[in-house]
Amino acid sequence: MDFFDQFPVMEQQELRDFKKGIDLAFRTFARTYGDAIESFFEPLLFFLVWLEKLLINSPWPMIILVLAGLAWIASRSILLVIGTIISFLMIGYFGMWKDTMSTVAIITVATLVCLAAGIPMGIIMARSNRAQATLLPVLDMMQTIPSFVYLIPILMLLGIGKVPGLIAVCIYAIPPIIRLTNLGIREVDKEALEAIDSFGATTWQRLTKVQIPLALPTIFAGVNQTIMMALAMVVIASMIGVRGLGVPILRAISNQYLALGLMNGLAIVALAIIFDRISQHYGKRIQKHREGRNL
Amino acid sequence: MMKYIKKLIFSALFALGITSFSVTANAACGKIVMADMNWASANLMANVDKVILEAGYGCEIELIAGATMPTFTSMNEKGAPDVAAEQWANAVANPLKKAVAEGRLHIANKAPIKGLGEGWWVTPGTLKRHPELKTALDILDHPELFPYAEDPSKGAFVGCPAGWGCQLANANLYRAFEMEKKGWVLVDPGSAAGLDGSIAKAAESDKNWFGYYWNPTSIIGKYNMQPIDFGVPFAGSENWDGCIVKPEQECADPKPSAWTHSEVNTVVTDNFKKTAGNEAMKYLEKRTYPGEVMNAMLVYMADNQADGADTAIEFLKTQESVWTKWVPSSVAKKVKAAL
Repeated sequence: MDFFDQFPVMEQQELRDFKKGIDLAFRTFARTYGDAIESFFEPLLFFLVWLEKLLINSPWPMIILVLAGLAWIASRSILLVIGTIISFLMIGYFGMWKDTMSTVAIITVATLVCLAAGIPMGIIMARSNRAQATLLPVLDMMQTIPSFVYLIPILMLLGIGKVPGLIAVCIYAIPPIIRLTNLGIREVDKEALEAIDSFGATTWQRLTKVQIPLALPTIFAGVNQTIMMALAMVVIASMIGVRGLGVPILRAISNQYLALGLMNGLAIVALAIIFDRISQHYGKRIQKHREGRNL
Repeated sequence: MMKYIKKLIFSALFALGITSFSVTANAACGKIVMADMNWASANLMANVDKVILEAGYGCEIELIAGATMPTFTSMNEKGAPDVAAEQWANAVANPLKKAVAEGRLHIANKAPIKGLGEGWWVTPGTLKRHPELKTALDILDHPELFPYAEDPSKGAFVGCPAGWGCQLANANLYRAFEMEKKGWVLVDPGSAAGLDGSIAKAAESDKNWFGYYWNPTSIIGKYNMQPIDFGVPFAGSENWDGCIVKPEQECADPKPSAWTHSEVNTVVTDNFKKTAGNEAMKYLEKRTYPGEVMNAMLVYMADNQADGADTAIEFLKTQESVWTKWVPSSVAKKVKAAL
C-alpha cells in the first residue's frame, strides 16, 4: 500500500548529485567555450554599441525627424507622424531620452537578429513537416519557460551586459516570426504554386517570387509580434545589466517610486505603440498594393 | 473504585516524574526562542546555537523565522524572540542603544563573525597576476586591467544593482574617487543574480574583476574573492551618513572614504540572560566564527543546497577545533555525544 500513498521519489542524495552533476557539466562547458562564444558575438556587440552611441550622440531633433520620416514612409499617415513626434518630445522632456535611445538600440538590433535567424527557420519549417514537428515544441518551450530560468546559464556563459541581454530578448521574441513565416508560406494558394510550377520555376524562384511575396502580410504580422515581445523583455534584460528604460523601472520597483516606474513604463508603451503602428501600417500597405495588382 | 484510585495515583506519580525529570534537565537553562534569520549565515548560526545550547546547556530551543527589522522590532517591543544571532545594527543603531541602556536588551557578542562587512573586491587571480595592486587607489590607476566589454578602452567597476541602498554609496564613491576621469565605467549589474553572475563568470574563467560585494557570503567563499583596502581611511560619519548614502543631488561634495564599518551583534533579551544563565551568556560571548570558516560553511550550504540544520551538523562535525574553544570541555563532550 505504501507504493500508492508515497510517491516513489528519487533518493535525496542521488537527486542532489544529479543536480550538482548538471551544474558542474554546464560550468565546465562555460569555462571551456565561454571565451569562444563571447568572441563569436563580438561583431554583434560592436554593432549594438555603435548604434546606441549613434542614437545617443546624434542631435535629438535629427533623431525625431528620422523617426517621423520612417513613420511617414511606412504608414503615409499624418496622424501617426504627429503622434510619434509628440511622444518622443514628451519622453525627452521628462528626462528619459538617453534610456529610451538605449532601449530603441537594443530593440532594433534584437528585431534584426530575430528576423535574420527566424525567417530562414520559418522557411525550413514550412518546407519540411519533420522540421515543423521538431521545432514546434522547442518554440512552445521558448515562449513559456520563465525567463529567469535561462538567465542563469546565459550569465554563466556570457556574463552581464548587452549581448546576454540580447540573447535573452531573442529567446522570447523569435518564436512569433518563425511561426508566422511558416504559417504564411503554408497558406499560400495551391493554384498559385501549380501555376508557377507549370512555368518550370526552380525551387528558389518558387520561394522568392511566389511563396514569400504572398506570405508577406502574415510574415509582417510576425515582425510586429516580435517587436512587441522584444519590448516586453526590456525590464528582464535590464536585470542582467542592459542599460535602458528597464533600469529605472527596476529602481522604482525596489524603492516603491510610483511616478518613476509609471513614467518609464509609459515610455515603453509609447515605443510599443509607435513601432506597432508603423509595422502594421507597412504590412497593410504591402497587402493593399498586392490587392491592387490583382484587380 | 480501587482500580480507579490506583490508576490515578500511578498517573499522578508518572506525571510528577516527568515534570521533575524535565526540571532537572533544564536546571541550567529554560525555554528559549531564537530568531532564524532569512539569510544563510544567520540561518547557520541559529542552528549551531540550537544544537549547542540544547545538548550542552539543556536549554529548550524554538527557532522562529525572522528578518533584520521585524525581529528587532519584536525583540525591542515584546521581548521575543530571545536571541538574534546576527543582528545588523547599523539599521537599528538608535533604538538598540536605548534598549541596551534600559537593560531590556543585551549585546552578547560584538563580532560574531570575523572579517564581515561590505566593500570592494577583486578575483584572487587579479592579485596573483598583479601583486603591486595593494589598495583601491592602485587599482584605480589601472583601468586597462579590467576592460569593460562594451568599451575596452575603459575599466569596468561593477557596482550595486539598481534600487539597492549600496547603489547610492557606490555611485557617490565613484564620484569621490574621480573614477570617471581615471577611465572607469560604473556598471549596473541590474540584479543580485546579475552581480553574482558577473563574479562567477569572471572567477570561473580567471579574468580580472573589480566591484562591490559583501561578506560573509558563499560567493566570496566559493571564489575566494579578495577584499581590497580602500587606501584611504574612513572619512567620518558626517561624510558617510550625510552624503555618501544619499542620492546624488543631496551629496554635492563626496569625499573618498573607506566603507563604513558594519556593526553586527548577537543581541539577546533580558529574559535570556535570566533564564539561560551566565554559562549560556559566556558561550555566546566566545562564539566568534573565523571569516574563512563561515564562508567555507556557506559554500558547503550552497553546493549541497543544504539547509541551516544540516549545515550546523556538518559544522559541528568538521570544525571541532573552532567550536570546542567556545565551550567548557564538559559541554563539548555532551555536544559531541549528541551528534
